[in-house]
Amino acid sequence: MKNAVSKITAVIVLVYISAVMIFILFGKGNSNIMYGSSCRKKHCISVSDVMYGSFTEYFTELTANRLPVRSRMIAAESRLKSAMNESVVNGVCVDSRMLLDAEVSDRGSVSKNAHTINEFCGKYKGAVYFAAIPTSSGVYESYLPEYIRKNPESMQISSLYSELEGNIREIDAYNILKMLNENYIYYRNDTRWTSYGAYCVYRTVIQKLGFSPVAYDKYTINHVTDDFRGNLYARTFYSRVRPDIIDIYRYTEGARIISCTGYDNDMKSYAGKLYDKSFIDSGNMYDMYLGEKRPLVKIRTTVNNERRLLVIKDSFADCFIPFLTQHYSEIDIADPAYMEGSIVDFVDPGSYEQILFLFGIDSMDDENLFDVLVNTPEERKVE
Amino acid sequence: MIYSSLLFVYIFFPFSLLVYYVTPKKYRNTSLLVLSMIFCSMFGIGFLLFMIAYTALNYAACILISKYRSNKGVSVSVLGLALLLDVLIIFIFRSDFFSIYKKLLSIPESFFPVGISFFTLSAAGTLADVYCGREKAEKNIISFGLYIIFFPKLIMGPVLRYSGFRKMLDSRHDGLSGIGVGVSLFAKGFAKKVIAADSLYALYTASVSADMDKMAALTAWLGATSFFLCLYFTLSGISDMGAGIGHCFGFRLPQSFNYPVFSSNIRYFAARWHIQVVQWFRRYVTRQILRFSPNKAFRISAFIAVWGLFGFWYTFDMNGAVSGAVLGMAIIIETRFRHGRLLPLTGVFYTFITSVICSVFMAGSSLSYSFRYLFAMIGGNGVLADSFSLYLLKSYILILLISMYASTSLFRNLMMRSGHGKGQKIITALSPVIVLSVMILCTVLISYKGSSGMDLLKM
Repeated sequence: MKNAVSKITAVIVLVYISAVMIFILFGKGNSNIMYGSSCRKKHCISVSDVMYGSFTEYFTELTANRLPVRSRMIAAESRLKSAMNESVVNGVCVDSRMLLDAEVSDRGSVSKNAHTINEFCGKYKGAVYFAAIPTSSGVYESYLPEYIRKNPESMQISSLYSELEGNIREIDAYNILKMLNENYIYYRNDTRWTSYGAYCVYRTVIQKLGFSPVAYDKYTINHVTDDFRGNLYARTFYSRVRPDIIDIYRYTEGARIISCTGYDNDMKSYAGKLYDKSFIDSGNMYDMYLGEKRPLVKIRTTVNNERRLLVIKDSFADCFIPFLTQHYSEIDIADPAYMEGSIVDFVDPGSYEQILFLFGIDSMDDENLFDVLVNTPEERKVE
Repeated sequence: MIYSSLLFVYIFFPFSLLVYYVTPKKYRNTSLLVLSMIFCSMFGIGFLLFMIAYTALNYAACILISKYRSNKGVSVSVLGLALLLDVLIIFIFRSDFFSIYKKLLSIPESFFPVGISFFTLSAAGTLADVYCGREKAEKNIISFGLYIIFFPKLIMGPVLRYSGFRKMLDSRHDGLSGIGVGVSLFAKGFAKKVIAADSLYALYTASVSADMDKMAALTAWLGATSFFLCLYFTLSGISDMGAGIGHCFGFRLPQSFNYPVFSSNIRYFAARWHIQVVQWFRRYVTRQILRFSPNKAFRISAFIAVWGLFGFWYTFDMNGAVSGAVLGMAIIIETRFRHGRLLPLTGVFYTFITSVICSVFMAGSSLSYSFRYLFAMIGGNGVLADSFSLYLLKSYILILLISMYASTSLFRNLMMRSGHGKGQKIITALSPVIVLSVMILCTVLISYKGSSGMDLLKM
């Protein structure tokens, strides 16, 4: 009997493995973005990757992305672990109130990024402002298990600010958001802030930049969707936390957008949008703000003050930028995560009287993020 | 690409089975060697080149030792040189003390020859056997190459003698039935690694994140126990997966662990833990040293020192050596003082405590850290339990209890005692469904990350 059972086991398991293999190799696969691992710069496998095996990580990720019913599998994993009282699933703290990034204490030193920013800012005379934004794990750290709170984001931000040179004006977003943490300032399913959270910080930032903020009651707020599931949900598919609402803040009496143009790494231009509602039907609804990710976006407004602002940012700024459009005739937005070569190939930082850095503190974990700021154009040609 | 990754389970494994079984029997060894080389290349072309050079070096050394057997000077020189190189290679890659050589050779920090702890033991043992005339030097480079880089035993052994491997190579029983046994064993190892070891590792990292000076005794015990169980499930899980894959190609690779965790005495524990590695140290080190002197004190010291070496082999630092030496001393003490019969539960208890103490040394970054940790375990910090330890207990009690049960042979013994009873027939009939369910469950648990890595030890 055992021999027969072994043969049946072999047939069943081989059929199953082969079916999955065929699906992985020839199936449609899933979107990378859907699982919170959006591909930023073009992925190319280097000689070093092939020599020392890093390329396998790429293929492992590719295999995982092409796994059939992957989202259901991840959801099943979350439910199973949650049923077994485990509070952390795939690096996400699963709480009935909201999902939080549990890898908050594992981040590396911010020194290299601070050094790069200092080097960049030392070259330009314009005023430079830096706003380091905490993620939801920073503001709601009391929801995290004690052992995860070893290196809180407040300390990470303080550490970054202490290493930035004196000519860079720091903006304390952490305390503003911490004070307002009973409001809907962070998404329940994402690490990032809501438009309201962004507005609360905007009020301070814009005063530092020399303007008066637009009053809250002047905005008309449209709920674009109440079914937003963000980057933390994409790691757990934990559905017991309520989906989020995405809002658009419109100041109908204020300045209008004349043009919004995106540029790719070859400086080819594309029509951009401040709000691209086509993303509401995609796997990543948050990309509705500013639309498709580009290394550079140029916005022209009807504001008649000839003021120009360069914003160097990550995705935290996407829902923040609309508030700035009421104050500048020209806003250029550079995203180092999508930029190849040097920032000088895209814009002349010296031509702006103000430069605003706006980053989530989690982005500082990538110690090569700001390399594009100090790369020389010649280096790009060599590449 | 370790065995517990989607890339291996769903791409490489079915691909290798297909290639192997469509290859005519005459060329199957060659196809296995090519598959093993592809497997190596998944760790980088650098690793493949390293393995080719390593295999060629040991192959040539074996041939030379055999050829110049009559000329003692030459054969001893070749043996000494080859062994020295083997030892140097393992020290360069595993010991921080020798990392300067990596810099000199421009080897990046990230490069680590996976399985180096195992294939170096195999190679060194074979060199010694050929020199002593216990083995003939293998002239067939394909067979010898397979002995070193055969992918089911590359990552976690077992460490076999060449004659044993050769026997398997010549008389293997491949076919559907073997695949059935193999996938069942693979699923067992997969579950050990993904379900048990990964959860226990999370408990261990959470426990040791507590401030050492304020650590509650319960937290310290949870951390030490979870490390010990995690170590067992990681090592035995990967070994089982390798043995399972071997079965699919007709190789009946022996299992490396035989339910050691809750052994009824320390000697049983030592005999059931990493069986082939322990045998290797006994055969090639202990016996050779004991030949020097019949003096009892010398023999005891040598015995403890070899166990220290065994522990050192895991971590390549002083902590590992102390861990092994503690185990060696415990065996001596048990042999000397345990004459009468003890209740099995008492034996299980003190064996488990000893194993956990050994694992505290194994896990520690330094000896002072380990002693401070032991101090916390006995309540030295003045806190027996706090909110954090209760939180950990609440979060992980279920997985801890399941893991403890799974690490015993209770279920296996139950099945064996039932003979050919109805219960066993039902379990046997259901086993295809159980194996499939385990495969799916493990896939679910790694569906986000894509793999379950070796976070505990780099071997």
